[in-house]
Amino acid sequence: MRFFAFHLMPYPYLPSDFEQRYDSAWVWLPNELYDPQVGHALYHEYLDDLLLAEELGFDGVCVNEHHQNAYGLMPSPNLFAAILARQTQRVKIAVIGNALPLYDPPTRVAEEMAIIDVLSNGRLIAGMVVGGGPEYFSFSVNPSFARERFNEALELVLRAWTEPGPFEHYGKHYKLRYVNPWPRPVQQPHPPVWIPGIGSLETMELVARNRWAYMGIPYFHMRVFERNFDLFRRACHDQGYEPDPEQMGWLVPIFVGETDAEARAAFEEHVWYFVRKLLPGIDASPPGYTSPRSAVKIIGAASDFMLNCRSWEEIVEGSYVICGSPDTVTERLAERAERLGVGNLLGLFRLGSLGAEDARRSMRLFAEEVMPRLRGSGA
Amino acid sequence: MTEQLTVEVSAGPVEVTRGGEGPPVVYMHSSLGDTWWGSWCDELDRTVYIPAHPGFAGSGGYGSIDDMEDLVFHYDELFDALGLDTFALVGQSLGGWIAAEYAVRWPRRVDRLVLVGAAGLRVEGAPVPDMWRQRPPELAELLFADPNQPLALMMRSFDRSDPPPEDVLLPFVQAQQTTARLAWNPYLHDPKLPRRLGRVTCPSLVVWGAEDRFVPIAHGEEYARLLPEARLVRVEGAGHLPLMERPAEAGRAIREHLA
Repeated sequence: MRFFAFHLMPYPYLPSDFEQRYDSAWVWLPNELYDPQVGHALYHEYLDDLLLAEELGFDGVCVNEHHQNAYGLMPSPNLFAAILARQTQRVKIAVIGNALPLYDPPTRVAEEMAIIDVLSNGRLIAGMVVGGGPEYFSFSVNPSFARERFNEALELVLRAWTEPGPFEHYGKHYKLRYVNPWPRPVQQPHPPVWIPGIGSLETMELVARNRWAYMGIPYFHMRVFERNFDLFRRACHDQGYEPDPEQMGWLVPIFVGETDAEARAAFEEHVWYFVRKLLPGIDASPPGYTSPRSAVKIIGAASDFMLNCRSWEEIVEGSYVICGSPDTVTERLAERAERLGVGNLLGLFRLGSLGAEDARRSMRLFAEEVMPRLRGSGA
Repeated sequence: MTEQLTVEVSAGPVEVTRGGEGPPVVYMHSSLGDTWWGSWCDELDRTVYIPAHPGFAGSGGYGSIDDMEDLVFHYDELFDALGLDTFALVGQSLGGWIAAEYAVRWPRRVDRLVLVGAAGLRVEGAPVPDMWRQRPPELAELLFADPNQPLALMMRSFDRSDPPPEDVLLPFVQAQQTTARLAWNPYLHDPKLPRRLGRVTCPSLVVWGAEDRFVPIAHGEEYARLLPEARLVRVEGAGHLPLMERPAEAGRAIREHLA
């Protein structure tokens, strides 16, 4: 099992009457609510959280891309990955990912990710994503072409990394006469590719065929992850092989305290901040963003999404977060990771409005008391 | 009496509803997918053809239609396949925009043009609300003057935590996808349309609901100003979709225009 510390870099200072005044933390939430002075301190704290992860023995750190929202303040994850590439020595740097359809031309992704890979001497994990529904509002990119653009851009980026340039790319959405990016990545033939998915068979098939890694999109009930990883394994079997556990990753909010009661007392209000203030709006699903069949399935599955949790019991029952003493957290993670068959655990430690002190204490307990036992168990 | 035809064109099958007797009228439906014979059609004494846009009702071709340009070529091909040489062209909302885009490209095929609550323009000071930012109940408020209109009732009862069954939802989701493909950005308009409207050679009628809260009547005034020989008619008691909300009045106004 490999352990990653995943950061969203949330904005923890939304007003207490947020729920009465706004219906979304995304796209339209007035940016006057963002205080740059507070933001200055936050970015440094958040980067320090990730530096601590290396010090504590995590295998990697993860950043990701979201626009115009309070949920995650990394519109350009590559900027943060570049800082981390210079300030860390050992950890993998997983950018999960770049929302390919938003980059025009997408060779920009090939360039920036290659910079990160060169700077870090081959520690980049290249995550490629379609981007969340809200991003199509924020960028005014036509969502009905999201999948087409993603597929074409992904092929282009990989080709830019593997095929000697210059060459011409002539596709439906991008027509580039000279593709020849400098620098080229250190990792050959190209950095490992991770792709997050929400259950689309098409995505699983793509990942399985190329022997890349499939990440489960978080904040769903455990049964959704189980079903998706089962389907992914089946997609690999259809390609004639048994997937390596490292081809699968589970992203989940984690909090470790001294005891179960103390952990819940320290963590719960920040979970509700996350659910009630930061998640609303993340489920915006613009037309054509998924196939109509997937879209109606997603609408039908709303009850299995964390946004709709109303009680702590529901949160625990669905494993939307893993919270408790080191023993409880070890036992729950071991059982679920085994059930899912995943070889990468992506922990979200700085959830919602959780402060630095509590989050780092939880990371330390996790690193000292949970990680060794999970590694030892061979899960 | 209406019948349903399936006509094969290069983009795929097109479902066409046809009814009535007399010279041909083609109706371009709205993004709500009103591909059925509405009672306004009874007012006309004409043969009315109602093709379903790609992705709506039984029509295929979604994958081959990338934008408005593709769509009007698709329809030109369909009109040939139907043996229609010249005809009256009526369109409502999204369909009004399509009708206008068709008429500026093939003005000699259109002997009368009718735009009902037509999208297609951008008018400073009269923005069209973002239809994809609204939940169905809010959208119903923007579209209908009468909250108890059957489609309005259905939209108002939509509840995310208790969604309707998949087979009810699916046609709506599919229709939205086509609309987004045509109208996401630029939003529900074509910046080049205003300077092309002068190409229309036939008389035009612009019909607007007096209570249209979605596409403001300023858009109707702008169409009436830019089309060479045009008249604007307001329909009292109707919102964005007068053919649905006031079919008799709107139908009679269209009949007079076609006479």
